[in-house]
Amino acid sequence: MSLGFLPQLPPVFGQPALFGALLLAGLLGGELVRRLLGLPRITGYVLAGVLLGPQVSGLLAPGALGEARVLIDLSLGLIVFELGHRLDVQWLRRNRWLFVAALAESAFCFGAVLAALLAFGFQPLLAATAAAIGTATSPAVVLLVAHELRAAGQVTERMLLFTAVNCGLAYVALTLLLPFLHLEHAMSWHEAALHPLYILGGSALVGFVASLALLWLADWVGKREDRQFILLVALVVLAVGAARSLNLSVVVTLITLGMLARNFDYEQVLLPLRFGYGGQLFFVILFVLTGASLEFTALPAVAAAVVAFIVARYLGKSLAILAFGRLSGVRSGSAGLLSLALQPMSGLAVVMVLDTAAMYPAFGGDLGAVVLSAVAVLEILGPIATQFALKRAGEADPAAGSA
Amino acid sequence: MDEMDFKSSVELTLGVELELQLVQPHDLDLARDAGDLLARLEKVKLPGAVKPEITESMIELNTSIHRGHLTLAAELGVMRDAVVREAGMLNLQVCGGGTHPFHSWSARRIFPTERFKHILERYGYLAKQFTVFGQHIHLGCANGDDAVYLVHMMTRYVPHFIALSAASPFYQGEDTSFQSSRLTAINAFPLAGHMPFVEDWAEFIEYYKKMRALGVVESMKDFYWDIRPKPEYGTVEIRICDTPLSVARAAQLAAYAQALAKWLLDERPHPALRAVYLVNAFNRFEAARFGLRGQLIDPFEQKKRPLAADILDTLAGVMPQAEALAGADALAALATDVRRGYSDADWLRERFAANGSLAHTVRNSAARWAGDKPGASG
Repeated sequence: MSLGFLPQLPPVFGQPALFGALLLAGLLGGELVRRLLGLPRITGYVLAGVLLGPQVSGLLAPGALGEARVLIDLSLGLIVFELGHRLDVQWLRRNRWLFVAALAESAFCFGAVLAALLAFGFQPLLAATAAAIGTATSPAVVLLVAHELRAAGQVTERMLLFTAVNCGLAYVALTLLLPFLHLEHAMSWHEAALHPLYILGGSALVGFVASLALLWLADWVGKREDRQFILLVALVVLAVGAARSLNLSVVVTLITLGMLARNFDYEQVLLPLRFGYGGQLFFVILFVLTGASLEFTALPAVAAAVVAFIVARYLGKSLAILAFGRLSGVRSGSAGLLSLALQPMSGLAVVMVLDTAAMYPAFGGDLGAVVLSAVAVLEILGPIATQFALKRAGEADPAAGSA
Repeated sequence: MDEMDFKSSVELTLGVELELQLVQPHDLDLARDAGDLLARLEKVKLPGAVKPEITESMIELNTSIHRGHLTLAAELGVMRDAVVREAGMLNLQVCGGGTHPFHSWSARRIFPTERFKHILERYGYLAKQFTVFGQHIHLGCANGDDAVYLVHMMTRYVPHFIALSAASPFYQGEDTSFQSSRLTAINAFPLAGHMPFVEDWAEFIEYYKKMRALGVVESMKDFYWDIRPKPEYGTVEIRICDTPLSVARAAQLAAYAQALAKWLLDERPHPALRAVYLVNAFNRFEAARFGLRGQLIDPFEQKKRPLAADILDTLAGVMPQAEALAGADALAALATDVRRGYSDADWLRERFAANGSLAHTVRNSAARWAGDKPGASG
């Protein structure tokens, strides 16, 4: 008797099963962590990922993680787009001290982390690369915590603004360091000089073209929330795809798209952005996958450097905000909370490390371990810090409960 | 000194309170930053005062006392500019209008003062639904008896002020079909409505003491009447107007109230009439629902007539008083809009029809409040 219609055993699950399993695991992890420990759901998503990942159960094999890279890119794309969309250039123009504070926040943080890593004897160029990655706050964490707490107020707004600025600057810094990495790897100088230009210019151009297309199509579609939502997702996904196939930066492309869509909308064709439940799917996927790709094994070996990295990062961010926060008109007391809220690191940093290490294996060694270990720690602690800061600032909606 | 001693003030002096909306630019919903904005404004020298209101999405401008509407308008302009500038530093926009078109009342947060917490405890969800925005006009009175007479006589003109200020057609994301939907939120309060028909200040004090003894109220503040005497300021306070979309209109309304009060107090055209309160609810509804296209029952003449015609006749009738108070231009501007049958509510509906989104309607309205050319912002 031939039962050829039966699947092979064990059955091979494809992308849909992976997608569903990730969502389910994230949902369960998030709820359990919130109910049992009172911690933010994000922490639960990440822990679910850690449990599924190669480091614990191995249910998510490294191969599956590779396949899921497209999901990470899409999720990050949507999140970074929303962040860019929140970046109000008019605000920075009206409030110059705020602009200074945002620049200082990135600069101080970069400087502090760089100094700490140099003190540990890391090679300057690689240390600078790690410091650039450390400058960025996790856009996904701050956005999701703000969403789930339904937070609104000055600390929330500034947290999102500073995150947009430090992510953008981190990417620019990382790209500008490329020529030096190239030269160390004995590439020709013009290749070294053209590569960052290509990445920054190309990403900005794709973002610019996509923003024009978005505004033009939104005008044509009209002010209907459902249709504009589809349009938005379509263009974000297209822009992510274009950035990937052209070897450009997804982050720079999408931040540019979000920012220009907001600030070029002179005719006011775009409705306010609401990703709603659809957006949450991507958040959950992103955090579970990030959890699965977290790297804990190296942590004991590099613990001291990791602690120095995290402390320096915190000091850099808080010094700048304490110094310039008052001048930009934030009430006393909230400067400390704002610096706490900006601590999370996550998927974005993992992607940056992986991309850099892929090009320059030297980076993948100890220094990669330090950054990835710091990400692992801050991926778990960061959401807790952000939630605490927003609640303490009185900007969370009490009815919203915990993130 | 008793809180009910009527402090004599210079007759017909003017003061205005304006409740304003704070809006966050990224989604044009109400913001929650009143505390931060007020902290910034404390450091700015202003002719009047800026105060918190019931929820963290509102602030209130209080002008100083004025003889006429011209200096009042100038002061309102100065305060508006300061508030818009400081709000800009916090990435907030400021808006006129009687309601926010689409905010969700349940998302509102009570401003943390004892009085507002008490109101939340006492009135429950009504307190959050009270996130509506009105203009109050104070008119100085020489004594309590004048104030009582003025309250009764002004009641006939309540529909005028509703229709002339109406700027809340949208509420909770819907076109309510009303010109002023804000009044509906106020009607829900048990002590909303009007002052009882008392003959003079002595009788009013008697009434007030009885209500206090019964435990119905604790202070005059507990009466949410359309028009009420305010003994500690020595004024009559007209509380029926929506906050208009511009300070110019706010000053025009004050000029009209002042001229009308001058006519009523100088000429005493009628003795106070109990029947005013028989038709009040009907008149008030007509004006809130239909605005300038509504009807009005005149309790003195005992006949129904179009509200717009009644306003135009009254504006013409008190023009001599307005001229004496240097307010003729303001009344003429009001009359022009009445003849067109046009109010701020119509402007808001026009903007919505043109741009198809309430969020953008709020953006237009904020631009108008800030003093941009109306319509120029799209």
